Amino acid sequence: MNISGPDVVYVKDLEKRFGRFVAVDKISFSVKKGEVFGFLGPNGAGKSTTIRMLCGIMSPTSGYGQVAGHDIATEAEAIKHSIGYMSQKFSLYEDMTPFENIRFYLGVYEVPPEDWRERVEWVLDMASLQDVRDRVTKELPPGWRQRLALGCALLHRPEILFLDEPTSGVDPITRRHFWEFIDSLAEGGVTVFVTTHYMDEARNCRRVVMINEGRIVISGSPIEIISRVFPKKPEADLDDVFVRLMSRRTP
Amino acid sequence: MNWLRVRELVRKEFIQLFRDKKNRPLLVIAPFVQLLVFGYVLSTDVRDVRVAVLDHSRTRESRMLVDAFDANKTFRIISYPRHAGELEKLLLRRKVDIAVKIDPDFSKRIRRGDSSPIQILADGSMSNMAAVRIAYASLVLDRFNQHMIRELYGQRLDYGRIDARVRTWYNPNLDSRNFFVPGIVAVLIMILSLLLTSMAIIREKEAGTIEQLIVTPLRPIELILGKIIPYIIITQTLMIIVIAFAIVWFSIPLKGSFFLLVAAACLFLLSTLGTGLFISTISATQQQAMMTVFFFILPFFMFSGFVFPIASMPTAIQWLTYLNPLRYFLVIIRGVFLKGVGFEVLWPQFLALLVLGIIVFTSAVKRFRKRLD
Amino acid sequence: MNPLHVKAIARKEFYHLIRDFRSLYLAFIMPLLLIFMFGYALSLDVDNVRTVIVDQDKTALSRDFIRKLNASAYFEIIRHLDDSRAAVRYLDQGVTTMVIVIPPGWTQDLTADRETSVQILLDGSDPNFAGLSRGYITAFVEAYNRDRLLSFLNRKGRETIEPPVDGRIRVWFNEDLDSRNFIVPGIIAIIIMIVGAMLTSLVIAREYENGTMETIRSLPIGGGEFLLGKAIPYFLIALTDVLVAVFMGQVLFGVVMKSSFWLMVLASAVYISVALCLGLLISIATKSQLVANQMAILITFLPSLLLSDFVFPVGNMPKIFQILTHVIPATYFIDILNGIYLRSLGFAHLWPSYVILVGMLIILGNIGFAMLKREGM
Repeated sequence: MNISGPDVVYVKDLEKRFGRFVAVDKISFSVKKGEVFGFLGPNGAGKSTTIRMLCGIMSPTSGYGQVAGHDIATEAEAIKHSIGYMSQKFSLYEDMTPFENIRFYLGVYEVPPEDWRERVEWVLDMASLQDVRDRVTKELPPGWRQRLALGCALLHRPEILFLDEPTSGVDPITRRHFWEFIDSLAEGGVTVFVTTHYMDEARNCRRVVMINEGRIVISGSPIEIISRVFPKKPEADLDDVFVRLMSRRTP
Repeated sequence: MNWLRVRELVRKEFIQLFRDKKNRPLLVIAPFVQLLVFGYVLSTDVRDVRVAVLDHSRTRESRMLVDAFDANKTFRIISYPRHAGELEKLLLRRKVDIAVKIDPDFSKRIRRGDSSPIQILADGSMSNMAAVRIAYASLVLDRFNQHMIRELYGQRLDYGRIDARVRTWYNPNLDSRNFFVPGIVAVLIMILSLLLTSMAIIREKEAGTIEQLIVTPLRPIELILGKIIPYIIITQTLMIIVIAFAIVWFSIPLKGSFFLLVAAACLFLLSTLGTGLFISTISATQQQAMMTVFFFILPFFMFSGFVFPIASMPTAIQWLTYLNPLRYFLVIIRGVFLKGVGFEVLWPQFLALLVLGIIVFTSAVKRFRKRLD
Repeated sequence: MNPLHVKAIARKEFYHLIRDFRSLYLAFIMPLLLIFMFGYALSLDVDNVRTVIVDQDKTALSRDFIRKLNASAYFEIIRHLDDSRAAVRYLDQGVTTMVIVIPPGWTQDLTADRETSVQILLDGSDPNFAGLSRGYITAFVEAYNRDRLLSFLNRKGRETIEPPVDGRIRVWFNEDLDSRNFIVPGIIAIIIMIVGAMLTSLVIAREYENGTMETIRSLPIGGGEFLLGKAIPYFLIALTDVLVAVFMGQVLFGVVMKSSFWLMVLASAVYISVALCLGLLISIATKSQLVANQMAILITFLPSLLLSDFVFPVGNMPKIFQILTHVIPATYFIDILNGIYLRSLGFAHLWPSYVILVGMLIILGNIGFAMLKREGM
């Protein structure tokens, strides 16, 4: 099944079970090219599991998924060349310098050696780390590390960027800068898939899917969702939506 | 010094220790498994020496010689190869430890009154064992000679022979297990106390609860005692159980005073617990502590007389071993088990343990306190 | 298999190694320490038995006996005592391990051609030491007896009686009976296990603990490339350690290889690879550095030390250990080392051990690869 058109991510009835526990319960959605797409939900809702399946790290129990034109079940390796992934813990090598971290990813993503120097400079500039390029990452503040992790996920110019809780533990100013950067990326044609449990940040997404206990609860643009759930209260925000929808599910 | 606080700390430590399921294998199973494995594996006994005999003579005399080897309990003839090539292959393939080659004219030469050479080929790979095997083989030959001379010359040649009457004291059967197992007990105590102390403190560091304790009116020395007292108790208890197990399972004789052992262990623990304390100040994670204990322990094991005799070490190293508490504890534990000696003989070791223990423990405490502040 | 990937992983691993002083210690200092310990300081041989003499005879002849004893390289007489009870105290204290008592009337018996004795009290606590000491003293007494027999025969005018059996003892494989000759090669096996398995057992577990394994899995790196990249720095270090050990063994301690050096290098390369696979496997399976460390000590270090016929003879162990010894890689490597260092064997004799080691390598490598695949690599 090859979906043509601008869908960079397409998921249908995707399911993941761990024994009897259903982490992801037959969800379906799609993401268009250049979208900033938010995947929201409380902890344990199935966000990380979904993202792992999309990145080709975990294979689904059933259902179909396609990322960057590749089947997530059968062409997992091919996906990895086209995506960038930033995990919750930023996962940088703390005992290596930014420069060394970047060089590692350059080698791994098979960026042609003649482009290396330019890419190194690009990442260091974009992350404003030129002055600390040779300082061990352990010594850098979390905001700087986040930028470095982002840069490392982008240096091979992927089609999609998967970000799993990218702003946890980061101060509001850095968060602001972060979302500005994401916007500029999207304008440049990179699709950004973000999971987060910070509802206020989700406003930055073009479209949003809310997931709870493995099921999609609602999807659409932030404004659509708010007006759907609170038609009479335009001043409501996604937090309110979240509380309203999640508490309904409590048995 | 508030003993009530210390008591509560000790209680907390015990609760944590027994609730954490991960500790159970380390505390309960590991010591016994180690005792069993090391007890069975560590052995330098020379017994069941495999012999191959190439008898080209096949006469009454040569058969008497072969029987002399066979009758000796130490030797076991497992092969009678037919030619030299086969014999050599057996040695090369390490299928036999000793090979005996008897020439075709063995009997003739003896009956003539001449000397007949017998080749004894020994596999020297494990040289210490080979040397003992050779000594035993020589004894067999000597006895055969005496018998033959009596037979040939019809009388005992009474020439004023010196009979070396060897009496082996303390371990008459030269059972290497009696030597190793008490040593294993000592080493087990060392490992256990080192690991338990250093890991316990670091676990608190990792969990962040040490900070909680520092903000209370708790004083550093109380914290240390609270950490150490449980492990003194546990280690001593384990030692008693392990010793009982060793005595029952391996039939190791315990000739001396058990209480002396307990007292010695307490002094020994001063050194090891102090070292554990020290290690906890130079390690950030439990894994690092474990690794450090491993590095540390290795030279202390090797240079303690546990397996390798101190008397065979170069003089400079022998002097260094005076700084090793395990050396003294081993002397005491072997003295109590095998020799049955008491304090009047062992007091120098006790003194050394005391002095070393105090030095190590106080330096460790000083360093620990500095770290806390 | 993309060399760019492998290089990136290997270089990263190298950085981790260089910046962790505990790893550096294990990789470089510990091997040196071990060679030093086992080449210089530790020995199972007995070169010097401290002896106490109680001469209750006190004649020229007994003094002659004592002098000859002292002249021997094996004995060092540290005390002359009058009373055997005092001597026993020395035994108790451990000051001496052998007391020789020459009984009164010794010389009278000997000059009258009557059989007599010397009493030898031996401390049996350390059976290895005691057994060797006993061997030395009985050999000494027998040699003394032979001299006495000859002079007796001369005196009686009898023709010399040759002893019927003349035992010609030839030691094969470790001719100078130096324990170093079998311990130093064996320690190489231990060193390889420490560097190759214990150190590597941490490296993948570390990635799991840091959370970087997540990211690695999302990268277009294959399991094989990952394992290879992780293994390469440690392979190089282990090989270096082996060469240094061989060199030191030869130059400093006189432990010399009797057959091919390249055979040894080949065996080391295979064995190092087996150790690396073991370490990496443990790392992937345990995902925790603490547990990995314990497992590594238990599964790699201890069996190599105890069950490989290195110092402790497998023949003395209960059947179950004798069986276990066959699944331990160190057993085969030590067999090869033994063959090369002591028995002058070549590939023609040693090939079975090589084959088994290669077999282990293939099996372990595949298991590691399969485990990573299951993890999504």
